[in-house]
Amino acid sequence: MEKKYWQSLEVYKEMKKNTASDKEAMPEFSIDGLDESEVKGKSSRRDFLKMMGFSVGAVALVSSCQMPVRKAIPLLNRPQELIPGVPNYYASTFYDGDEYCSILVKTRESRPIKIEGNDRSPISQRGTSARVQASVLNLYDDARLKGPVKSGKQNDWKTIDKDIKAKLETLKTDDKEVILMTSTIISPTTRKLIGDFVKSYPNVKWIQYDSLPMSAMRNANEANFGKAVIPFYHFENADVMVGFNADFLGTWLMPVTFTRQFSKGRKLKDGQTKMSRLYQFETNMSLTGSNADYRYQIKPSEEAAVLLKLYNVLAKKTGNTVFGSPSVKTDVNTAARDLLKAKGKSLVVSGTNDLQIQLIVNAINNLLGNYGNTIDLSTPINLKQGQESEMMQAMSSIQSGKAGGILFYNVNPVYDCVHKDNLVKALKKLPLKVSFAATMDETAQLCDYVCPDNNYLESWNDAEPVQGFYSFAQPTIRPIFDTRQFQDSLLSWLGAEQSFTDYLEKNWEKSLFPKQKDFTSFNKFWFKCKQDGVYSFAAKDGPQPSYKGVRLKAGKPMENTLELALYEKISMGTGKYANNPWLQEMPDPVTTATWDNYVTISPAFAKMQGLEQEDVVKINGKLVLPVLIQPGQAEGTIGIAIGYGRNHAGKVGDGVGKSVYGLMNVTNGTKNLLGTVVAMKKTSNTYPLALTQTHHVMEGRPIVRETVLGSFIKNPAAGNEEHEKFLKSEDFSLYPEPKFEAFQWGLSIDLNSCTGCSNCLISCQAENNVAVVGKDQVKRGRIMHWLRMDRYYSEMDDNPEVFHMPVMCQQCDNAPCENVCPVAATTHSDEGLNQMAYNRCIGTRYCMNNCPYKVRRFNWYEYVNNNSFDYNMNSELGKLVLNPDVTVRQRGVVEKCTFCVQRIQEKKLEAKADNRELRDGEILTACQQSCPADAIQFGNLLDKKSAVSKSNDTGRMYHLLESLHTLPSTSYLTKVRNKEA
Amino acid sequence: MIMSRFVNITRQKNIPLAAPLFLFFIFFLVAFSSFGQTPEAEKNFAQCKACHTIGGGRLVGPDLKGVTSRYPQAWLIKFIQNSQAMVKSGNKDAVKIFNEYGKIPMPSHNYTDAQVKDILLYIKNGGKLPAGSEVKKAAVKISASSAQKITPAERYLQEKREGSRNLAIFAIISGVLLVLSLLDLIFTRYLKAKWIHYVIILSALWIIGEWSYDFATGLGRQQNYQPDQPIWFSHKVHAGQNQIDCEYCHFTAETSMHAGIPPASVCMNCHTQVKKGKRTGKKEIAKVYAAIKANKPIQWIKVDNLPDFVYFNHKQHVKVGKLDCTECHGDVAQMDQIAQVKDLSMGWCLDCHRTHKVQFTNNKFYGSYKKLHEKLKAGKIDLVTVKMIGGEDCQKCHY
Repeated sequence: MEKKYWQSLEVYKEMKKNTASDKEAMPEFSIDGLDESEVKGKSSRRDFLKMMGFSVGAVALVSSCQMPVRKAIPLLNRPQELIPGVPNYYASTFYDGDEYCSILVKTRESRPIKIEGNDRSPISQRGTSARVQASVLNLYDDARLKGPVKSGKQNDWKTIDKDIKAKLETLKTDDKEVILMTSTIISPTTRKLIGDFVKSYPNVKWIQYDSLPMSAMRNANEANFGKAVIPFYHFENADVMVGFNADFLGTWLMPVTFTRQFSKGRKLKDGQTKMSRLYQFETNMSLTGSNADYRYQIKPSEEAAVLLKLYNVLAKKTGNTVFGSPSVKTDVNTAARDLLKAKGKSLVVSGTNDLQIQLIVNAINNLLGNYGNTIDLSTPINLKQGQESEMMQAMSSIQSGKAGGILFYNVNPVYDCVHKDNLVKALKKLPLKVSFAATMDETAQLCDYVCPDNNYLESWNDAEPVQGFYSFAQPTIRPIFDTRQFQDSLLSWLGAEQSFTDYLEKNWEKSLFPKQKDFTSFNKFWFKCKQDGVYSFAAKDGPQPSYKGVRLKAGKPMENTLELALYEKISMGTGKYANNPWLQEMPDPVTTATWDNYVTISPAFAKMQGLEQEDVVKINGKLVLPVLIQPGQAEGTIGIAIGYGRNHAGKVGDGVGKSVYGLMNVTNGTKNLLGTVVAMKKTSNTYPLALTQTHHVMEGRPIVRETVLGSFIKNPAAGNEEHEKFLKSEDFSLYPEPKFEAFQWGLSIDLNSCTGCSNCLISCQAENNVAVVGKDQVKRGRIMHWLRMDRYYSEMDDNPEVFHMPVMCQQCDNAPCENVCPVAATTHSDEGLNQMAYNRCIGTRYCMNNCPYKVRRFNWYEYVNNNSFDYNMNSELGKLVLNPDVTVRQRGVVEKCTFCVQRIQEKKLEAKADNRELRDGEILTACQQSCPADAIQFGNLLDKKSAVSKSNDTGRMYHLLESLHTLPSTSYLTKVRNKEA
Repeated sequence: MIMSRFVNITRQKNIPLAAPLFLFFIFFLVAFSSFGQTPEAEKNFAQCKACHTIGGGRLVGPDLKGVTSRYPQAWLIKFIQNSQAMVKSGNKDAVKIFNEYGKIPMPSHNYTDAQVKDILLYIKNGGKLPAGSEVKKAAVKISASSAQKITPAERYLQEKREGSRNLAIFAIISGVLLVLSLLDLIFTRYLKAKWIHYVIILSALWIIGEWSYDFATGLGRQQNYQPDQPIWFSHKVHAGQNQIDCEYCHFTAETSMHAGIPPASVCMNCHTQVKKGKRTGKKEIAKVYAAIKANKPIQWIKVDNLPDFVYFNHKQHVKVGKLDCTECHGDVAQMDQIAQVKDLSMGWCLDCHRTHKVQFTNNKFYGSYKKLHEKLKAGKIDLVTVKMIGGEDCQKCHY
């Protein structure tokens, strides 16, 4: 029987009722919600005449006026590497305190405009995440401080340095503690500098604070191995992976690296038939869970018990110690069977910050012999070094009056600390409060001095995300404002003459250069480091430390309670990017919601409580949030995203969603996102959510095609029978067959690799100047993204399989949009591109109506220089991020994906200028370039040896809605799940 | 179709072209044989003029009056071709001049011995061409420009321009006819057959409509736009008299989409020495110094403007297409202040794309166009135009 797919619960319900689902589809453009005057129109005949008179007059006036004078202002003295109109790329490092990524920064006319992945990095391997892509916009954030601030007023560095130095000296003589609270610092040179600072001011106590710490894992490894580290994982070596509330493809630890590894183990190209299998036990439907082959729903309080049960099953079969465990229903036998089969080639991870849980995970991995194979303790990950105990100590020393000052670097505890009320109270007592925040955030508001740090794109830095692996950051633009790098501030308070740049270079020359053997001169070594952005010392395959077993135990799962599972959204993270409109408007890949956080509840629970989507509920009598019905949510649990509810983020992020950091679960001194028991009450209110869910419905056609590994091995075309049918069907068309001379550009998307991380979406937005339209417009179905991430559910609604599918313009050779354009604004090119000429478009939107893929976007408003859309395009600063090679569209025209034609043209021209043929793989579209899963191939379809042709040369290949005979140039490869049929 | 139209044009125009070419050839021969000194010498001397005068006093280098009698000709030829080599080899006279003139090296010149001799003769004559050659010089110039400068695309445009002028005349005539026939139709009723009125009125409206359309499309274009620049910089002096290559200053034309306005530092390559202009004195050059001193970039006014939705790339046209700068920017060497010569309309772009021959066989990139190569070989086509490889596609320029 053919499987049916559904995209929203409404559609699903309709499917069950056996009524046509298309009736339910929301019209793409609805007049609901418009004023009456807007619907009926309120202009009278006289108004019309007046308007006409005015228009004619204006046109006459304008046409008789002179053209504006434009200036061409050259540099006085051109730096050698700067050629106007030619981009420069600099290797650098993204690290925001949570996530690390090696990057290339594209600059045009000396301003960074785009982040690309760095393929020389063995860690991030040319991949980036949506947050990394969007981080370039933070450089041009209007909320950034323009200079140092003293008591809420802008001041100059000299005064502030004098003040702070004096106060530090007094505190030193008074022997009062000064707390330096930073995020986890992975820069070896900064760590050394802080060491120097502490030497000069022995009263300074440095603590690292993470909003989402992973201290339990470090402590568990200390107990088991004597090393308080986070090991490096090798998902690519694992045949069977079991995840417990660890969203390692979305947000956990190093999602870019892990996505790369994960997809590597699941590629089915070149006749490969081996594929890894992922089991996911989780509470909320996470991105990782949506990519799992088998997904089990567990409550947070059940996690330890389920893990122990799994351990016991494995221990029994291998003849190891079995520990008493509370009983849970969840079936772990299938997972245990597979894990045993893949001994030494399996991996179990948990994202829960709980010591007991991490101890059980370690015990299981040890039992399976995974240490040294899929888990590497000898090259640990340096992220997340914060310990909650340090923070608690700091709190008590502030409260007791032992501390006299505090410095905040890259942390915002007043927003994201569980004990923020105590902290705010305690801070009032301190005579010296300094923040290095780049914007006036919640913590900076309470500080006497704010010494704004440079943006990371304006700074020198280094990083050691994984032991023995180094990464460099170099400035790609001069500091835009009168800001100063944190490290330079420390140096100047130390009274040092040198800048951090010199300090960094000297540190490398002294401490790290002697360790390497590749270069004899430091200058050459340093140059190479800056050029590549990365340097790794030969990995020592040191012996794994021996495992020391501990007694395992698990608490009894709670019953009849409502457990809260907080989670990190892929877009918003911990809330640092609240003022970034690209990320605010990025639809969550699972819920497809934008601009808000909400309570996710399971459909069954919703039914029981009589709740419907967008109903507002009250949590613990205080927190008011709307409900979003999320299939796959574990029974007896609700989920809410952190990172929202900022009050001092800036014009975009203020007041979006609600902050839920106060609801974190603190047990035994560890902060945990999961497991707080809450009470929920329905209110009579509703609150609209801007989902991109139903306004791109494809009406129940065979869009996502899938099969299981067993069937795929028997027949590579399994699940793709429709394509066979299409190939056999009579090729009948009114239109002539398209013929191409030298190039026919094509894109191939492997649905089996794609995890739905939505990096491509933001990459496209940055590359193509896609406008942000705001919540209200998104709600009306007017989101402008050229590339959207469709999400489909299948099977039952309590635990559905999830599909992610990137959809952009399919560049049909038989394009339905082209035939209906009355002004020939959209035509077909000699290279198979479906072209869109904005300057010719008159906005009839016929093409949009006729596009079966609904990938065309209409500019309903002027999104540039318009106060109603007060995002980056409405600010002189924010507009600096725009790509000068792509037209900024005006009101009233249709736009869509161009296959990054500017990149095609650029590379073609390079080949022509070099007098050579174009190489395959030279052109990388924005979505393809930084895809961490390497799911997208682009190239010339006429060349049978090109990567895209090879990728398409499989039984898995199909086109979207191919029965319409639109002949798309974009193709998809069926998704293969590694599960029993 | 348009292709064939172009080919026809060339054939028709080949005949009148032959005449000036012939004239040019004759004059060239006459000038060369009878006076032993060619107008080329004057052209070549333009380069010398940046540093030397003939009887006008010392500039960067010495006054050249009487130089031919001061030094032997062989010495002069060697010195002009490569002065530095002579200085290095320790030639007494050369070292003396070098030291006397502030150790500013005279650049090497890639002239043949005959050319240098020619220049020396020109100097000997006091910087004048022998009597009678003035007229010929002008004639040569005209014939040379008409022979070299008019490209097929330009000719096509010229025809279009004539067409549009004719249209305007037609429109006026039609207007008169329209009024006349209306008057006759309503008042005088001279012509009995009313259909004649209707035919005239309709055709007149048609022609006036065409003309209005033609006129309206020209709105917002800035042909002949010639703004006053902040510094009175003359291309005529630099590119014309001094024969400085366009790409010496606009040095990114082959590497970037922008040809680039030169940074002030480029000006200083010469103007550290040349501190005075012949026509403007120190006044204009001082502005460059002032800009550098104040660290304020010079705000030139952009002359050739394209709308924001147009992507134009110099690298494509100059480096790959091997177009001469003058094809779009006109004869800059004759302009003091730069003016926009072409209307820069889309039609103008497309006309060239439809007619211009691509460097098809001598660029390996075009090896991908296998079918076209076959056709070329088989003689089915005799040239490949930009249009044939997608030069009419919207997204070649609009994205």
